[in-house]
Amino acid sequence: MYLTVSNATKRYGAFVALDDVSVSLKKGEFVSLLGPSGCGKTTLLRIIAGLTDIDGGDVRIEDVAMSDMPARKRGFGIVFQSYSLFPNMSVAENIAYGLKVRKAPSEQIRARVKELLEIIKLPDIIDKYPGQLSGGQQQRVALARAIAVDPKVLLLDEPLSALDANVRASLRHEIRQLQRELKIPTLMVTHDQEEAMAMSDRIICMNHGVVVQVGTPEELYHKPATRFVADFMGSSNLITTKLIRETLPNLMSTRPEGPDEAFDACIRPEEISLVEDESGVATVTSTSFLGNLNRIDLDGPFGHLLVETHGPCSFKTGQKVSVDVKPEACTWVLNDETEAVT
Amino acid sequence: MSVETVGAQAAPTFRKWIDSDKALAAICVIVPLIGLFLFFIYPMIIVFIRSITTADGTYGLANYAEILASKGFWRATQHSLVMGGTTTILSVFLGFIIALGLHRCAFPGKTLIRVAIVLPLIAPSLVQALGLIFILGRNGLISQFSGVEMEIYGFWGLVIANTLYGLPQAVMIISAALVLLDARIYEAADVLGSSPLRQFRDLTLPAVTFALLSASFVVFTITITDFGNAAVIGGDYSVLATEIYSQVIGQRNFNMGAVVGIMLLIPTILSYYIERQAMKRQKTQKATNIHSYVPRFQAIRDVPMGILNFLIAALILSVIGIVIYASFVKLWPYNFDFTLKHYNITLAGGYSSLWMTIWISIGAAVAGTLAVFTLAIGLRHTPEMIAQPVRILAAMPAAVPGMVLGLAYILTFNSTATPLYLLYGTATLIAVINFYHYHTQAYLTVMTGFRQFPSELAEAGSALGAGIGRISTTIIAPFVAPMLVSVFFFLFMRSMVTLSAVVFLTTPQLTVAAVTIMRLDDAGLTSQAAAFSTAVMAVVGLALLGMKGAVSLLAKRNSRKSGS
Repeated sequence: MYLTVSNATKRYGAFVALDDVSVSLKKGEFVSLLGPSGCGKTTLLRIIAGLTDIDGGDVRIEDVAMSDMPARKRGFGIVFQSYSLFPNMSVAENIAYGLKVRKAPSEQIRARVKELLEIIKLPDIIDKYPGQLSGGQQQRVALARAIAVDPKVLLLDEPLSALDANVRASLRHEIRQLQRELKIPTLMVTHDQEEAMAMSDRIICMNHGVVVQVGTPEELYHKPATRFVADFMGSSNLITTKLIRETLPNLMSTRPEGPDEAFDACIRPEEISLVEDESGVATVTSTSFLGNLNRIDLDGPFGHLLVETHGPCSFKTGQKVSVDVKPEACTWVLNDETEAVT
Repeated sequence: MSVETVGAQAAPTFRKWIDSDKALAAICVIVPLIGLFLFFIYPMIIVFIRSITTADGTYGLANYAEILASKGFWRATQHSLVMGGTTTILSVFLGFIIALGLHRCAFPGKTLIRVAIVLPLIAPSLVQALGLIFILGRNGLISQFSGVEMEIYGFWGLVIANTLYGLPQAVMIISAALVLLDARIYEAADVLGSSPLRQFRDLTLPAVTFALLSASFVVFTITITDFGNAAVIGGDYSVLATEIYSQVIGQRNFNMGAVVGIMLLIPTILSYYIERQAMKRQKTQKATNIHSYVPRFQAIRDVPMGILNFLIAALILSVIGIVIYASFVKLWPYNFDFTLKHYNITLAGGYSSLWMTIWISIGAAVAGTLAVFTLAIGLRHTPEMIAQPVRILAAMPAAVPGMVLGLAYILTFNSTATPLYLLYGTATLIAVINFYHYHTQAYLTVMTGFRQFPSELAEAGSALGAGIGRISTTIIAPFVAPMLVSVFFFLFMRSMVTLSAVVFLTTPQLTVAAVTIMRLDDAGLTSQAAAFSTAVMAVVGLALLGMKGAVSLLAKRNSRKSGS
């Protein structure tokens, strides 16, 4: 492991922002910290950057302790959601800032700035000021500024959240490509599961100041460990053991041992097959056409079900249908929520 | 290409970093704090101790008993309160009319009004009194041409002079509240069928209540603590400020002066406290994305308001303009031939005090701007537990009248008990008192800039390897530059014209412009006093233009960078 955070703890008064969190990052890896707002992901990123003090535990790079090292000595790169370019400096001065701090020769700085502007595909903005650039351009420059100093770790704090949808999609792709080429170990904070899945080698899913699950995007989507992960990573149908036993008993074969409340079934909407059936137990309550797929809402003895189908949709509101799910398409997840499930 | 990263060689042996940044942050807070203790807290303690030091050297309340039993003190107190109250009502009323005229009415020539309103700020406070004497005094225009003998010295003279003196402050505070009013609420009221008068009563008045209150307290404070106008036009009408002066300078009775000073502190601290509370309430009303109100011409409202505005402006212009005019005529009010002879200052020292004041003001402005900037930087890195009391301390000097601070300084620095005595009689000490006298305003202005500064910018700099020093000079300073420029010129201009704080600290060898004007007037050389005032106003006026130029230059540079 290249970067390791062990047993990190952070409190703000009575509020526990991070509770004994341990994460790691391999060389060249892109990892996302995913979770809802207030889950502690940004606090963790800021602790790694050295911008927030850690209360307990430590941060190490290849076994060198970083916890007592101020941010400016760590040699990390950081990109914020709000771009945070220095408004009084030109693009060139912004990118050169870290190099100037390191007293690099001006010849080398000039060449490096040019090279980076090529890399971010904005060679002509060298003399512009941040205020004259679009959001997407500013964020590219912020990225160039962060990687100019060959950071040991690149930290991205919701880098795409402030951008328009189409800019976000293209920049998502560019950041990932750049990171692959330069092989910079990168940690990105995001609350957008789609973004995390599209960009990451691994995702660290957090909630309430603890790590809930770590894994590849596929693992988190197909094998969520808890209700929270299942719910957060895309849409899912979460059904209690009791209802499954009564309505879809064939799924019980894969269920781990444990009391009824311990595990719920997680069925992804695209894993459900529907058949028109006058004697079916479920009723279509609404259908919506979303272009590449159809969203169908059902009501039945298992409660509300969400189904997604591709191709033309023949189902109509009020129609009776029968429901079929293959046992391997059902994942049993730990019930980590206190509220009773309906 | 590879650039060596900072701290790459960081060995595990460096378990605890000896962090130069933390030391620098501590220095940034500690040095200004030492200044505040040495040049504000300590003198204030001394003035208090002296007020309870009796003639035989023991401590007790005998001085207070003596003062409270003296008729002179009660008369001065009563005069101060009545004069202050009258002035406040007049000043805030006229200020409200001007502020409404500028922001809520449509009539041409508002620039002239704005210029007139700024004039009292660039003049030493005794200039209003001088102007009134040229118009209404025994040898004034009115008595010369109408034969009516008027007694301008005393209550009414003082009220008029101080009303003009307080007017700019009132206008600024009320205007600040008026510009926060969103045009859309008026449009909504219009659509709902509310009449303009009703809108004024239901929307405008409630929104500016706190500003009116705040303006009242500010004007009241600067009026009862003002010394310049009281000294020139007060005549036999003694007020607390002149009472301190006569105790200290007239009777060399420093301890009694200290007692009167402490007594003067009571209403000013009270009024300062209430004013701060009012401002806090005001802030909570502040909204973002304000659509500013653009008044459309309505004859019934704008004609009378326009006339009133121009009358008030004319009053200010004539009182101050007459001083300038009188400085250029041979013998006021008998011979109006042009002459420059009054500019040949015959009092000992001539213009040397003007040059000295300019140097002192530059010193106060440079060191003061640096000090508040440093303090603000340091506070960014100070734990809240320490930062909170420091912020309160930094905002305190405004509660202390200049006369009291000046008295505290002479008691502190004219004593051989400490090495601080070395500062006594130096220009440095005058620059120091000017800075601490206006510390609050300077500090608060810089803090407004810092509040707007996004901390991610500093964090980005930090992650790139920059320390506090570099971040402060390359990222923060450019960001708050407009505020720093304002603070610099504010301190310069105030130092140029202030009288109350420095009147005790000048010596025969070292004097400042405002004191020279007072001496010239005392010596009966009124035309020379006018000439000297005109010279001071010219310097301060130029500084004001310099500030406007610098601020608009900064704005232009910024707008170029933001591409608009």
